[in-house]
Amino acid sequence: MSRSVSIFKLVRREVGAYLFLLPHMFFFGLFVVAPLIYALMMSFHQWRLIGEPRYIWLTNFMNVWNDSRFWNTVKNTAIFAAISVPLTVILGLFLALILNQKFYGKLWPLVAFVSPAFFGSIGILFSWRWILASFPSGLANYYLTKLGIINSAISWFQDPTLAWTCIIAITAWWIVGFSVLLYLGALQQIPPEQYEAAKLDGAGRWALFVHITLPWIRNVMFFDVARHVLLAFGLFDQVYILTGGGPAGSTRTMVYYLYSVGFERQQLGRAASISWYIFMVISLFGLMQLALLTQSIRSAETEVE
Amino acid sequence: MQFLSGKTERQKRLFYSVFICLVAILWFTPIFWMLVTSFKPTNIAVAENPPRWIPQPFTLENFRAIFKSAGGISISLAFFNSLLVAIISTLAGLSVATPAAYALARMRFPGQKVIFWTYVGVLAFPGVLFLVPNYYIINQLSLMNSFGALILPGLGGTFGVFLLRQYMLGIPRELEEISWIDGCSRLRFLVTIAVPIIRPALITLGLMSFLGSWNGFLWPLLVLTSADKFTLPIAMVRFSAGWGDPYRGIGPSLAAAFLSVAPVLVIFVLFHRYLMRGISLGSIGK
Repeated sequence: MSRSVSIFKLVRREVGAYLFLLPHMFFFGLFVVAPLIYALMMSFHQWRLIGEPRYIWLTNFMNVWNDSRFWNTVKNTAIFAAISVPLTVILGLFLALILNQKFYGKLWPLVAFVSPAFFGSIGILFSWRWILASFPSGLANYYLTKLGIINSAISWFQDPTLAWTCIIAITAWWIVGFSVLLYLGALQQIPPEQYEAAKLDGAGRWALFVHITLPWIRNVMFFDVARHVLLAFGLFDQVYILTGGGPAGSTRTMVYYLYSVGFERQQLGRAASISWYIFMVISLFGLMQLALLTQSIRSAETEVE
Repeated sequence: MQFLSGKTERQKRLFYSVFICLVAILWFTPIFWMLVTSFKPTNIAVAENPPRWIPQPFTLENFRAIFKSAGGISISLAFFNSLLVAIISTLAGLSVATPAAYALARMRFPGQKVIFWTYVGVLAFPGVLFLVPNYYIINQLSLMNSFGALILPGLGGTFGVFLLRQYMLGIPRELEEISWIDGCSRLRFLVTIAVPIIRPALITLGLMSFLGSWNGFLWPLLVLTSADKFTLPIAMVRFSAGWGDPYRGIGPSLAAAFLSVAPVLVIFVLFHRYLMRGISLGSIGK
C-alpha cells in the first residue's frame, strides 16, 4: 500500500465496512433474527393478531402433541418424504446420465426435463388437475382406458392411496429438474481420462458408474437428498390445489396443518409451536446441508490463500 | 444397445437423439395440454370425447376473458402486480446484498467473523419457521396487504450475500490496491470494478430471486387480502375458484396458467446456463 494514503483515509475505508453492511443487517435483524426470537416467544403464549398474548408455558406444544390430527399429518408427510425423496433423487440422476450422453439437439430435452422445476406451482398444478379430470374424456383417463390399464374413468383424488400416488408423481415430474441440473453440473466435472483408463482395464458400465461416477458426485447427492427432505416437509401447494387435504384428511401435511391452525383459525402461538415441531424433524437435514455449505466456504477460502 | 452394434457411431447417435427428443415431448405433455386447452372454448374442452390435440374450433376467447375482470379478479392486473413485485424484489435484493457481500469478503473489521457465521448459521433454519412470526411482524408494521409485505422480508435473506461473497473472494487483491493508489474509494471500486467482475453471479442470483418472487404462493396467500393487490398465483386460484367447480372455468384458468409459465420458459431458454450455475454453486466445493 502506498504511503500517500493518509491515516484518515484508511480509517474511513475500514469504518465504511459497517455502512456497506448496514442496509442488509437492518432487514436481516427485522425479518430473520426478530422472527426467530418471536417464533420462540409465540410458541409459549396464546397469541393472536389482536389482544394481549397470554403466557401459557408448554400448553401449545402439549396441545399439538395430544392432537391426533397432528400425528396424522406427521405420518402423511413422513411417508411422502420416504417415497418422494429417493424417487426424485434417483430419477434426477438417471435423467442427468441420459442427458450427459452425446446427442444432437441438446436444448430441447433440457427444456423439457428441467424447465418445469422453475415453473410456479399453481400453473403446473392447474394443468395436472385438468389432465387428471374425473370424467372419461379427461386426458389421463382417456389414454389409460385406451391402453387397457384401467377399465373405466377414475376419480383420482377420491382414494387416499391414489391421491398420494398422484401427488408424488406430479411432484417428482415438477421438481426433478433441479436435481438434473445439479447432477449434470457434477458429471461434467469428472475428467474423461478416468473413464478411459478404467475402460482399458476392462471395467463394465456398472463398474464405471460405481467406482468413478458415484464417488465424484457423492457430495452433490448428499446435498440433493437434504434439499429434497426439506422440500418434502414443506409440502403444501400440491395438497392445497389438488385435494384440499382430503379425502377425509388423508393428504393433510404438516405445513397444511400449520396453515389451518395458524392462518385459518388465527391461533398464532400454537402454529408457532407446530413450526418448531417441523423444525425438530428436519433440523438434521438442515445441518447436513449447512455442513456441505461450510465445506465449500472453506475450500473457497483456501483457494484464495 | 446390442441391436445397434452394426451401425456407425453417427447413426447410433442420431437414433439416440430422436429417442430422447420423443421422450422429452412426452414428458412435456402437461405444458402442451395447457396450451392446447387454452385455445379451446370451455364447453367444448369439457365435453369433447376423444380429447383433441388441435383445438376445434380455435378460439382466443379465453385470453380475452382473462384480460377482463371476472368476479372482481383481474388476471392481467395480477400479472403486472407480479411483474412489479418480482422486479423490485430482485433489484432491491441485489443492491442490499452486494455491498454486504463485499464487506464480508474484503474488509477487515471487528465482528466480521461473527456476522459472517451468523449469516451462514441461519441458513439451517427452514423457511416454514419464519411464516408465523413474520406474519405477525408484517401486521405490526401495518404492511398487511401491501407489496411491502412481499418485498421486504426477502431482503434480509443471507443466501445471496453468501453466494456473492464466495465470488468476491476471487477478485485479485492487487486490483484493489492499485485502485486505492489511484484514489479510488471502496464504493467506487465496488461499483465500477467489482460488480462487472462478478456480473455472472449477480445475474444468477437475480434470476433466482426473480423466479422465487414470481412463483411465490404460500406467503402471498397469507398476507394479501384484496383483489387489487393479488399476485398472479393468488389471482389464479381465486379466479378458478370463482367458477364453482374447477372445470367450468377451465379455458380461462389454463390460459392464465400459461401466462404464468410462459415468461419462465423464455427466461429458462435464454439463461439456463446461469440457472445451472446458481443451483450447483449453492451446493458444493471442489
